[in-house]
Amino acid sequence: MAQMWITMGPQHPMTHGLWTLRVKVDGETVVDAEAELGYIHRGVEKIAEARDFTQVTPYCDRLCYVSAMTWSSSYIYAAEDLLEVEVPERAEYIRCIAAECQRIASHLMWLGAYGPDVGNLTIMTWALREREMFLDLLQELGGSRMHYNYPRVGGVTRDIPPGWSDRLIAKTKLFEKRIDEYEMLLDESTIFLVRLQGVGYATAEDMVEAGVSGPNVRASGVNYDVRWTHPYSVYDELDWEPAVEKPTSVKGSDCYDRYRVRMEEMRMSCRIILDAIEKIPGGRNTTYANGDEMILAKAPTRAPEGATGFSNYECTRGASQFYIQGGGDGRGKNPYRLSIRSPMFITIPFVAETMIGYKVADIPAIMGSFDPCIGETDR
Amino acid sequence: MHISREQNEAATAEAVAAADAAWGALGVTASSVAHSSGHGYAFLRLTVPPAHVVTVAKGLKHDMGVNYCSMITGTHFPDGGAERGWEVVYHLMRQPVHNPEPNTAHVLVASELKGMDLPLEIEVVVPLPAGDEPTVPSVQSVWKGADWNEKETWDLVGIRFDGHENMHRVLNPHDSPEGFHPLQKQHQIRYHDFNEMYDDAQGFVRKPVDEGRVK
Repeated sequence: MAQMWITMGPQHPMTHGLWTLRVKVDGETVVDAEAELGYIHRGVEKIAEARDFTQVTPYCDRLCYVSAMTWSSSYIYAAEDLLEVEVPERAEYIRCIAAECQRIASHLMWLGAYGPDVGNLTIMTWALREREMFLDLLQELGGSRMHYNYPRVGGVTRDIPPGWSDRLIAKTKLFEKRIDEYEMLLDESTIFLVRLQGVGYATAEDMVEAGVSGPNVRASGVNYDVRWTHPYSVYDELDWEPAVEKPTSVKGSDCYDRYRVRMEEMRMSCRIILDAIEKIPGGRNTTYANGDEMILAKAPTRAPEGATGFSNYECTRGASQFYIQGGGDGRGKNPYRLSIRSPMFITIPFVAETMIGYKVADIPAIMGSFDPCIGETDR
Repeated sequence: MHISREQNEAATAEAVAAADAAWGALGVTASSVAHSSGHGYAFLRLTVPPAHVVTVAKGLKHDMGVNYCSMITGTHFPDGGAERGWEVVYHLMRQPVHNPEPNTAHVLVASELKGMDLPLEIEVVVPLPAGDEPTVPSVQSVWKGADWNEKETWDLVGIRFDGHENMHRVLNPHDSPEGFHPLQKQHQIRYHDFNEMYDDAQGFVRKPVDEGRVK
């Protein structure tokens, strides 16, 4: 049969953002696919060269609009590595809790967007309802709903507000029950299972070779997680273990495994939050003043030429990394070069290859299961 | 649960010794550097002359189990002197990832990992001489994950990767002029202060100093 190229995107319900997937089809079967990116490239790396180290944080928030807290934290760890700052323990706990709230909110956004892709509209309304609970909590910390600008070099902007920890515990415990409800809705829905199971196989070794990381690798049966291999923050003091899924095939994980691993990750995030809020130094019902040494350490503003900072951070979609070279602006107030590693930038070409051999109707299911986010991809 | 500091230091020290033994004669220097923040874990830093990049990459992959190419950074140093006009930094990882049997999970236990199974962070620094055409051999054939990282570095910084197949623009518009690489330092970025933005947010009223410049 004659083969032809189909262009899906940049405006297409499958893409979850602005990018183009070009697929070559033979009848209904995908025989080749390639991704085109760059539609919302904003040049964050260049902009950062004219900003000082604190001013870069809001740009990093906007790298990924569904996972702002993890991205700005990721940047902050690199800046602290560069500027040699010792962070107070309480600030690390608050950051850890905030990042886990963000991880839940991000996975819920994924679940809410993925459901309609594969024919389940109900889960969208349910997931976004619970996402608001966590966005409200984060809003109390950072002041805005999605872009918080909350971590600072040396700590966090402000302490947890009065009563926040009680609301956090109540909402987290409520949410743990809601995950069971999602599973009752999805795992017993024949349409959902038929669309996901046996589709989009990828093995762990192939993914690592191609640079894929995070939940997508853990879905294929390996518990590799930056949070324990290169521990940052306080994850080494908390009671948790990485979520991991058992793939059913030698061909690796399918879309269903990747859905399962994210559900388990949300459970694990709840466990981390509940553990961390109990162990937080200084007490969970205390609120320290802005700039108190319990939550913010004094940090230098200049980095000498030749100094470098690097952070490896388990973002919601995989390992996000920042590499900063100091000494910009002649006086060291700006980064000379800020380099961002986005997990999705590497993953999307891999996903395009993964689709080969499946039907055109499987494309949204495969693409969505990897949780693409174009904000961080294009930077 | 997590990789302990002793494990991390042992893995890095072992890697430094292995790198010294394998490539010391090629002018490669290896050192163990500790992060200055967080838990202060160590990583392996290699400084490699551009001619030996592929040799070192193959050695890292096949003899030291480095299976993950996570980031490639290019930097332009217009004032860096003849020897270091450009720099390419590779961030690599060793991840103990193996395919599990069906219906099982390959659950790694940190305290049981040793030798080549310990996770490792590697930073490979390649200084390039000053000039208009910074070139470094491609490692696309060594790690598949290096493919799009190299595309991005060429697109944004203009480092040429010798032997890279199917090089094309990925983030800039695909019809950008040849030789336009925005992260090179001759392209200036200027800080707009608040008053400037407030008075003239759209840039309709160009100040004389802005003549001919895009605001």
